[in-house]
Amino acid sequence: MQKSLGETSTQKSLSLNTSTKAMRKRREILTIIGFMAPALIIYGVYVVYSIGMTFYYSLFEWSGIDNNFSFLGLDNYVRLLQDGVFWVSLGNNSLLLGASLLTQLPLGLIMALLLFSPVKGMRLFRSVYFMPFLMSTVAIGILFVFIYDGNFGLLNDLLGMVGLESLQQSWIGKESTAIWAVIATVCWQFAPFYMILFRAAIVGIPEELYEAANIDGAKPLQRFKNITLPLLMPIIITSAILSIIGSLKYFDLIYVMTMGGPNNSTELMATYMYKQTFTNFNMGYGSTVSFSMFIIAFIVTLFILIGERKRRGVE
Amino acid sequence: MKFKFLLLLLLSLFVIVGCNPTNTDVSSGGEDDTETETETETETETGGDDPEEVNLQLWHIEDGPSGEAVQAAVDRFEEANPGVSVEVSKQENDPYKSKLVVAMGGGNPPDVFHSWGGGWLEQFVQAGQVKEITNDIDQDIYVEAALSASTYDGKVYGAPVSMAVVPVFYNKEIFEEYNLEEPETYEDLLAIVETLDSNGIIPFSLANQSKWTGSFYLMYLAERIGGPDLFSEAFNRTGRGFDDEAYIEAGHKLQELVKMNAFPEGVNGMNYDTGQSRQLVYSGKAAMELMGNWYVNNVREEMPDFEEKLGFFLMPAIEGGQGEKNHVVGGVAPVFSVAETSDHKDLATELVKELASVATATDMANNAGDVSALIGVEYKDPYVQEIAAVLENSEFMQTYYDQTLPPELATVHLDTTQALFGLSMTPEEAMAEVEAKAKELLD
Repeated sequence: MQKSLGETSTQKSLSLNTSTKAMRKRREILTIIGFMAPALIIYGVYVVYSIGMTFYYSLFEWSGIDNNFSFLGLDNYVRLLQDGVFWVSLGNNSLLLGASLLTQLPLGLIMALLLFSPVKGMRLFRSVYFMPFLMSTVAIGILFVFIYDGNFGLLNDLLGMVGLESLQQSWIGKESTAIWAVIATVCWQFAPFYMILFRAAIVGIPEELYEAANIDGAKPLQRFKNITLPLLMPIIITSAILSIIGSLKYFDLIYVMTMGGPNNSTELMATYMYKQTFTNFNMGYGSTVSFSMFIIAFIVTLFILIGERKRRGVE
Repeated sequence: MKFKFLLLLLLSLFVIVGCNPTNTDVSSGGEDDTETETETETETETGGDDPEEVNLQLWHIEDGPSGEAVQAAVDRFEEANPGVSVEVSKQENDPYKSKLVVAMGGGNPPDVFHSWGGGWLEQFVQAGQVKEITNDIDQDIYVEAALSASTYDGKVYGAPVSMAVVPVFYNKEIFEEYNLEEPETYEDLLAIVETLDSNGIIPFSLANQSKWTGSFYLMYLAERIGGPDLFSEAFNRTGRGFDDEAYIEAGHKLQELVKMNAFPEGVNGMNYDTGQSRQLVYSGKAAMELMGNWYVNNVREEMPDFEEKLGFFLMPAIEGGQGEKNHVVGGVAPVFSVAETSDHKDLATELVKELASVATATDMANNAGDVSALIGVEYKDPYVQEIAAVLENSEFMQTYYDQTLPPELATVHLDTTQALFGLSMTPEEAMAEVEAKAKELLD
């Protein structure tokens, strides 16, 4: 009898033990949720809900200023696939993406490396290099509209001074050059941003590695190839992701400099969405463009992340 | 690993949300944002508790002397209505168009707002966002043609203040220097273009990134060739269409001008709002500019000394065409309307009546060079007397396409016209595109 009693008591204490464990775990989860809740709520309302609503609106024909919704199903998406301007804008986004990756990142890296060279007055250059990123986008846009002006623009005057009159033209007034002129401005604006990222990362590389390399007789190029670049890789990948996503949703300078013109030649997905929604009173179709942008950016991000995972796996 | 992956995914989502329509008013510019913030603040402060304190919001786009005329009207209104204050918010022309759409869509429009009448205002009327003021205003004090721009199905939704005509402004000094005279025929005009170009002067200044500026040329050429009924037939679908031969011929004439170097290098990259076309005229690099008579207001604000050199003539008729020299392109602006969602509709209507009054129209006429949309204004300004005489003598007024057409069609018209200037489209292609859109939207 007693024995059996003892047995049950040990059983009891055992089960008590596990229940306190479960309670502790539950409390832990509650704490985690408690800390995450504010961010999650904001995220849910402003991101998940808005994405959902964008998709919902994209199924309707709706002007955005009244209550007349007419359900279209996926007709807006069919229209989008046949819309020449949308494809032009997608092409322009790709151009911007390519140009950003190929010029902003290398330029940022070169400027960051330059800042470490033992030249007097480097401090001044650090501020000068960073200046474009500090200016407001609208100011940059208007500044460059004047620089590119065909009649009294700075760029044409410069070309004239060095005897390249044949290259003088209205840079943002022609369909063939407008997109490149704007892309150059975008790169000018954002290269300093990557410079700062890279500079911070280079500062973090231990000096001992370079000393050891020096002892081994490594030349500057070898030091860069075998020490700086590999250790910078993570930050380069982060920068690439930022640059890609930024290019896909870019809007500001186009809006200020060309409004998507001449004749839609500099239209980006975001400016086209804006035009459809707010100029043409097509909130429904604008949402379709917007949601498609989301899908495209999402897919691209997925690919980058998968690639990144594979790369880590290889290492 | 899986968790990290998810976290990165969530982070990337954060980055992507920029494409969401809910936060698009970010683009309306920092300055405006702070403005609206303070506006709403004061509104919550004054609204509610004290029934005496009423705050009205007014959005307009008038600069310089016209802006002062609006302010004077607001002052008169505040004086006559103690306890009522008006929050005046001056907007920039092009951004205003989208800002009002956002405000209307968000259910928080200003009580009184500016428009140009026509198809743009009609969008808001059809959406039930504009108060009908047919019986609130005295229709007899307005010029009939002006009031018709904001009248739909016999109901009035806005009160006009001024009217505008689009003549060709020119630099008298340059014309004298090269022994040129105001043209009587289109051939004369082409000869002027040739003379100026061969002397290294840009004949017409034009800032066509703004698009509506280049549209003036197409409207005039089309009217001169196809006659006054061409546009209304195409718009009302009662005869010729937008792909009619007259339109195509107008496109060819326009491209002929482009090929004659009648316009500055890179017109499609220049912006009217930032003054890029006027700089050429002020500096004597260009001789003429086809522009509404608010041009005088621009000159007075930016380069008062230039005014004595400024002359104007009307676009000459084209031989063999059905249009006449005294048919003008023009429009009505500003038109003031009351938002349907306003909390103080009666007071807002009173404000509209004060804004669209003889007093305001007189101020605008004598200080800004506008022609009054109200009857009984005495013009002191010699310019306005001349322009008013032009309007009185004109047999027909073509209202701006981009403000008469539904916005989506207007966009196509503006884009294709811009392409015509850039020589990247043939007139046949451009007009076919407009007609196709018109079929889709108007038939």
